[in-house]
Amino acid sequence: MSLIIETRDLVKRYGKFTAVNELSLEVPAGSIYGFVGPNGAGKTTTMRMLTTLTRPTAGQAWVAGHSVTEEPRAVRRAIGYMPDEFGVYDDMRVWEYLDFFAACYDIPENERKRLIDDLLELVDLTHRREDMVDKLSRGMKQRLSLARTLAHDPLVLILDEPASGLDPRARVEIRELLVELAKMGKTIFFSSHILADVAEICTHIGIVEAGEMVIQGSMDDMRAQLTPHREIIVTVRDQETAERVKSLVALMADVLDVLILEPKAGRSRVQINFAGDDDGVAAINQKLSAEGILVMGFTEETKDLESMFMRVTKGIVT
Amino acid sequence: MAEAESTRQMIDVPEEALTPREIRLERAAVVLRWGAIVNGVLVGLLLVAGLLGGLRVFPDLFTNLQGLLLGRAVLAGDASLAVVIFLTLVDISLLLVLMVGVLAREIWTLPAIWLVAAVNGLAAALLGFLPALITIAAAAGCWVVIMRDMSAFRVNPVMLKELRGRMRGVRAFIVLTIYLGLMSAFTILLYLVFTTSTIQATGSSAVGAIGRVLFGGLVGIELLLIIFIAPAFTAGAITGERERQTYDLLRTTLLASPSFVIGKLESALGFILLLLFSAIPLQSIAFLFGGVTELELVLSFVILAVTAVTLGTVGIFFSAITPRTLSASVRSYTVALAVTFGIPIILSFPLFNAFVSAASGFGSGVSSSPLVETIFIYLGLILVSLNPVATSLVSQQLLAEKQAIGLWTVTLTSDGSTIPLVSPWISFSVFYLVIATILIVLAVREMRKVEA
Ligand SMILES: Nc1ncnc2c1ncn2[C@@H]1O[C@H](COP(=O)(O)OP(=O)(O)OP(=O)(O)O)[C@@H](O)[C@H]1O
Ligand SMILES: [Mg+2]
Repeated sequence: MSLIIETRDLVKRYGKFTAVNELSLEVPAGSIYGFVGPNGAGKTTTMRMLTTLTRPTAGQAWVAGHSVTEEPRAVRRAIGYMPDEFGVYDDMRVWEYLDFFAACYDIPENERKRLIDDLLELVDLTHRREDMVDKLSRGMKQRLSLARTLAHDPLVLILDEPASGLDPRARVEIRELLVELAKMGKTIFFSSHILADVAEICTHIGIVEAGEMVIQGSMDDMRAQLTPHREIIVTVRDQETAERVKSLVALMADVLDVLILEPKAGRSRVQINFAGDDDGVAAINQKLSAEGILVMGFTEETKDLESMFMRVTKGIVT
Repeated sequence: MAEAESTRQMIDVPEEALTPREIRLERAAVVLRWGAIVNGVLVGLLLVAGLLGGLRVFPDLFTNLQGLLLGRAVLAGDASLAVVIFLTLVDISLLLVLMVGVLAREIWTLPAIWLVAAVNGLAAALLGFLPALITIAAAAGCWVVIMRDMSAFRVNPVMLKELRGRMRGVRAFIVLTIYLGLMSAFTILLYLVFTTSTIQATGSSAVGAIGRVLFGGLVGIELLLIIFIAPAFTAGAITGERERQTYDLLRTTLLASPSFVIGKLESALGFILLLLFSAIPLQSIAFLFGGVTELELVLSFVILAVTAVTLGTVGIFFSAITPRTLSASVRSYTVALAVTFGIPIILSFPLFNAFVSAASGFGSGVSSSPLVETIFIYLGLILVSLNPVATSLVSQQLLAEKQAIGLWTVTLTSDGSTIPLVSPWISFSVFYLVIATILIVLAVREMRKVEA
């Protein structure tokens, strides 16, 4: 897969403070890439370098094959950028806002009307066409902003926290929009703290902390990498049964480790760390019932992104 | 401290591979720039020639130059040299304006190129103004380059956006109404004050004098208005976008910096021109009383418009180099006030007096050597040309007393010879437009820098 955004050892220093430290980013074409990190991790700074607004202190970055330092205009042609702050013009109608930016992208006047109609349709703001931009709700502004980034049909969308400050419904709407745009063939590179959003729609993810890339890759790889084994929790009546479970299961194939957990709500629990496949899980279940153990619960813990995030970020945020 | 400074530091963006359209526009601009440079070299050479001729190093120099450069004009040799220098300076400013227009892809550049070429053709045909060929060649070269891509030229999007906002609803209409109301009230007040005071003093009043006072008062008020409005409209041009967080959005679009600057300037000037035009009927009341000519009306309009353009660019320039609108406004006002009120005060009085009395036909009163007297008079002209108020007064005086709208001469008191001069409104316009162009270029350069 070809990379549409690539950085190599990108560094940004403000005085002595290093905001981005040797960051190497790889965003494949056509992906939805979630750029996740705590506050102050350097997400915005990285995006500003990619959008040619700030010059890197060291390192290199390419967008759509163009170097951000040497061919800034070619990069601008390839990207649609949505900053974390929505830039509002008071005194401007929704369609005028889009018309203005379309004109800034050199789209001829006779094509602009149709383009604006299409964009408004896409972000579901057609009924707001004549409204003043600064009177829109935050969610609508965000959608309008997204429409703006699409005016010149860019290859890549670089979106800085597109879902921040939105209510759950608006957040879902934006998320659906992003998926739709990805289907239209756009690469979407967006930052977020909201891991649920990322988990839901991303194909790729990169986690940054204190200006450094902690981990990145496709969602599937990431899951496999972060959770090398499955966790099965068996709930039984008492501690004695738990001991029996432990001794039985420990000898089975692919079982890495068996732990007796603290009893919860009067029930004893056993955690089985298991490296086998689905058949293996079924086999454990079968074995327990064959031995006449009354199993009250047999669940496989799914590792969600949140715990993944907590695990890889060490809290070294400045 | 060091950190804060380093974050504000900006560096120039490198040149990059341009699109065919950008290459073409760049090339067209280069043609125009070379036209301006060649004209500039010519001015330099002519100034040297003027010095040599004045010192009588080569006795026939002036006559020869006149034959070559301004063959058809019936003027003295030294006067025609001054005319040639002046016309060349006009051409330089026109070429610079065209250059900015081409780079900003302004639609008005297309007719303007033809206009410049036509005016120069006229000057060549009527006056035998040979250097016109340089400008015509530059304009033609530029046209040949841009002819292949006329669609590159369009209505400026920034201007469109700004004007849409400014003209929305009833606000602009109310502003206009209040403005005209105030102007009318002022006219009436001026009329009442003037008639009662002169009637008390002399028992009668000259009708022409009322016209002059009304006209002068209105132009003065308009000038004041421009001084306060032009920087206010433009000082927020770039800082305002920064403060609204739209500047970054604009910078990630393909909008070129010259387009942005010109668009902001056009929208500010558009509104100011509207104010100026709407006051013309009021000024015409002065015609009813007589004593004012149409020529004066045109003159005052040109001076006001040029002042508005230049003060507008001052605002844009400070907006580009300062982080906040407030400080940009303060700096622009400081410059505007210094230029319009400061200069007349510090106008070193002997120079100014020498010049003004020369302008009123009394001779300069400085009667040492002809050279010193000449220098004094020219310096006086330059000083007057720095300031719109002095320019208006002197130009008007020349018009009234010598019927001189363009060229005029002064007879030196020291040796009785005559030296040629232009009416200050012309030198003022050239000087101010050159300053405006330079400020635009500087603002564009500042905008092209990238945060380090
Ligand atoms: N212009 C600047 N001058 C000095 N320091 C800066 C500047 N811009 C950013 N920083 C610092 O760089 C670090 C990274 O900031 P950045 O805005 O990139 O983080 P972020 O990941 O986007 O955070 P958030 O999630 O809060 O948006 C922060 O510590 C910030 O204070
Ligand atoms: Mg941020």
